[in-house]
Order: sequence, then structure tokens, then C-alpha cells
Amino acid sequence: MKDFLTDVLLSLLIVVIQTTLVRFVAIADITPDLPLLWVIVIAIRRGQIAGTVAGFSIGLLLDLLSGSDSMVGLSALTKTASGFVAGYFYNENKTLQTLGGYALILITLLVSALHNLLYFFVFLQGTDSGLSGVLFRYGIPTTLYTAAAALLPMFVWGRRTALHV
Amino acid sequence: MIKRLYDIFRAFKEYLLAGSLIAVSLALLALNDTRQIRSIRSHAVVAVGVLQGVVNTNPAYFNLRQENAALRDMNVALSDEVSRLREARLENIRLRELVGLQQKPAHHYRSATVVGKSLQLLRNTVTLDVGERDGVRVPMPIVSESGLVGKIIFTESRYSVGQILLNRDVRVSAKVQRSRVDGIIQWDGGETLILRNVAKSLDVQPGDVVITSDYSSLFPPGIKIGTVLASTLAPGSLFRSIDVAPSVDFARLEEVFVVLSTPDSARLALEGRAKSYSGEQ
Repeated sequence: MKDFLTDVLLSLLIVVIQTTLVRFVAIADITPDLPLLWVIVIAIRRGQIAGTVAGFSIGLLLDLLSGSDSMVGLSALTKTASGFVAGYFYNENKTLQTLGGYALILITLLVSALHNLLYFFVFLQGTDSGLSGVLFRYGIPTTLYTAAAALLPMFVWGRRTALHV
Repeated sequence: MIKRLYDIFRAFKEYLLAGSLIAVSLALLALNDTRQIRSIRSHAVVAVGVLQGVVNTNPAYFNLRQENAALRDMNVALSDEVSRLREARLENIRLRELVGLQQKPAHHYRSATVVGKSLQLLRNTVTLDVGERDGVRVPMPIVSESGLVGKIIFTESRYSVGQILLNRDVRVSAKVQRSRVDGIIQWDGGETLILRNVAKSLDVQPGDVVITSDYSSLFPPGIKIGTVLASTLAPGSLFRSIDVAPSVDFARLEEVFVVLSTPDSARLALEGRAKSYSGEQ
């Protein structure tokens, strides 16, 4: 129960950070997707079901805050799928190794790429914008920036792993 | 039978859960902007707005000296412009009286600080520290000293959320100031805004200033939107391809003003009736 509440509070904190402080580290309007990174971390720590539920909840909160009139449900959809995919990398016996190693970067790259592909595929329906152009301008840089941001949890859990050993 | 179903559920529970949540997400996408979703949104906005107000850090504190110098310079230039505009306004009043035109109403502004900004994945919004208790309502326009910022889409007592021009859902009726050519400003996710619906034969040149049009029932006319960067003739199209650089630097947006005006309900009702009449024809 305590772990659950901690995860909920951290999720809220990360959403607030994403909508306030993250803009200060924007590079050419590209920001890391910290809520997605957090969904991946939850999925690796707690499993596929927790990752999927966390993805849906966090995505829905982002949708409600995003202000896009016709797109409520888009982040919920993409982050649910992301949490589900990230859950495949859950291994109860190797959680710390996964989170504390370069595997986390690779998982983030993969999940973030899938997330952004799905996101922009749905988002651009009915517009004149080409998917490839938007992916090059926003999708790939966001994926790379989010993967770079995964270095932070990697170091945090890397230290924990070292302490356990 | 029930045990078998239970076994299937247990075996595929991850897939069933993910499928259900994806179905709910798709249903929400299909529902779009219903009253219920707006209500949930307004509660979410106020809850997170309070946290954003606490967490928000204003980087301008570190540049106050330079900012003060720039503001003093701007003040001198604006004072000069105000005195010239005052003369022009008096002349305008005299000329309007001569030809019997109505005076345009003056607008009231409410200053606001941007306490939250989402620059994520093409859904750009700002959270402002003013709300219904300050007279802010949906869909009031938001402006800055540089030009049009966007419009209010949600309000709560102390906070409001605005869509900025760099948001796919925003469309603004616009006019090229020099040649009085009309079009629609929108954003497709690129570096610039796009001025649409301008026929090939019309006169639009790079450097032209684009302002809000009288045709908009939402935005007051004459607010600067941006400057034409390129105006090209796309082969096979009846319209020009016009890129417009927004006059507002959205990455550095910190202080804005909400224009305390809502659309003229009589005008909207009349336009609605005209639209339904056209539909019947």
C-alpha cells in the first residue's frame, strides 16, 4: 500500500514537473517525456499490469491538462500501449539490473519510439502534415531526449545495485 | 464453464486489461469534447494549477537589469507612438463621424502570469494564474505585447488554460495588413504558422504583417499575429502556400494579457441562423 501511494504521488509530481519545469530544459521546443519514462520504470519494477494501468492513468491526466479539444484519450492510448510493451521487460529477479544498466536506455528508446509513432499517427489523422516530417522534427528528437533522460534513473538504480552487491 | 472462463481470464489478464484500457482511450477520443470531460478537466486544471503555481520558477529574475533597460527603451518608443496614435484616433473619430461609421469598442485586459506551459508533442497550452474570479471566461483571447498568443479553453476560479497559436486545434481568421487579403491562420506542427485559403492571384509578399481579421467573432481585429516569411505558388493548387513567423516568442512566454471580451452573442446567433439557412437551401 505504501509503495502504491508513493508511486501515485511520484506520478503526480512528474506530471507537474513535465508541465512546469521541463520547458526550461527544452532544446528547440523538444522536451523529454518524463511521464513516459516513469511509466517504463513502473512497468519494469512492478510488471505489465501495473505499467499498463500507470500508463493509462498518467496519460489520461496529461490529456485532461493538455487542452487539445479533440484529443482527450490520445496520451492515455499511447501511454497504455507503452506501459504494456515495457511490461515485457519485467523480470522479478533482475529489476535492479535492468533499471541500473544500459538496458533501461535501450528499452526507453524502443518504447518511446513506438509511443511517438503511435501518437503522431493518430494525431495527424485528417491533417495535411506528413507523418515522416513530423517524426523527424518531433518524434525522433523526443525519443532521443527521453532516452537521454533515462540516464538519471539508470544512475540512481545503478547506485542501488552497487550497494546491494 | 465458469472455471474455464476464469482460467482464460487469468491466462490473458494482461492482454484483457490492456485491451480494455485501449478501448476506453479510443472511446474518449471518439467522445471528444463533451460537457462531462470539460467538467473533469476543470477539476484537474485547478488541482494541478495549484501545484504548478508552487513549483513554477520564473527565470526572468536573473535578467531583471537587462529587462528593465529594455522596458525603459520600449516605454520611450511606445510613449512616442501613443501620442501619434492619439492624434490619429481623433482624426479617425472625425472621419468616421463624417462617413457615419460606428466606433469600435475599446477592450479591457487582465494581466496574467504563465505558471505552466506544455510544449509537448504538438499540444501546446499555457496555464495562467487568473481564472473566473478575475473575470476570465472561455473563449477569451490571450495576447502579449508582441501579438496574439491564443485563446482560453478552460477556466476555474483561480486558474485558466489557454491554447496557444502553436496548437493544431487553433484557427484564426486573419488579414494581411498591407493588401487586406483574408485567410485562415493555423499550425500544422512545423516551424511556422500557415496562412490558408489565399487564392493564387492575391497579393501577399514576404515581410507583410498578418493581423486578426474583422471576420473573427472571437478575436478582436487588428492584433498582430506574425510576419509573412514566404509566399509561394504551389503547382497544381488554387491557393498560395504562405508561411508566417509568429510575432510572439512562445518559448519565452511569461507575462500575457487576457482580453476581457467574449464573442457577440447576437452576431453568433445571426451567423448560426444564416449557416442553418444555407444548409437548408
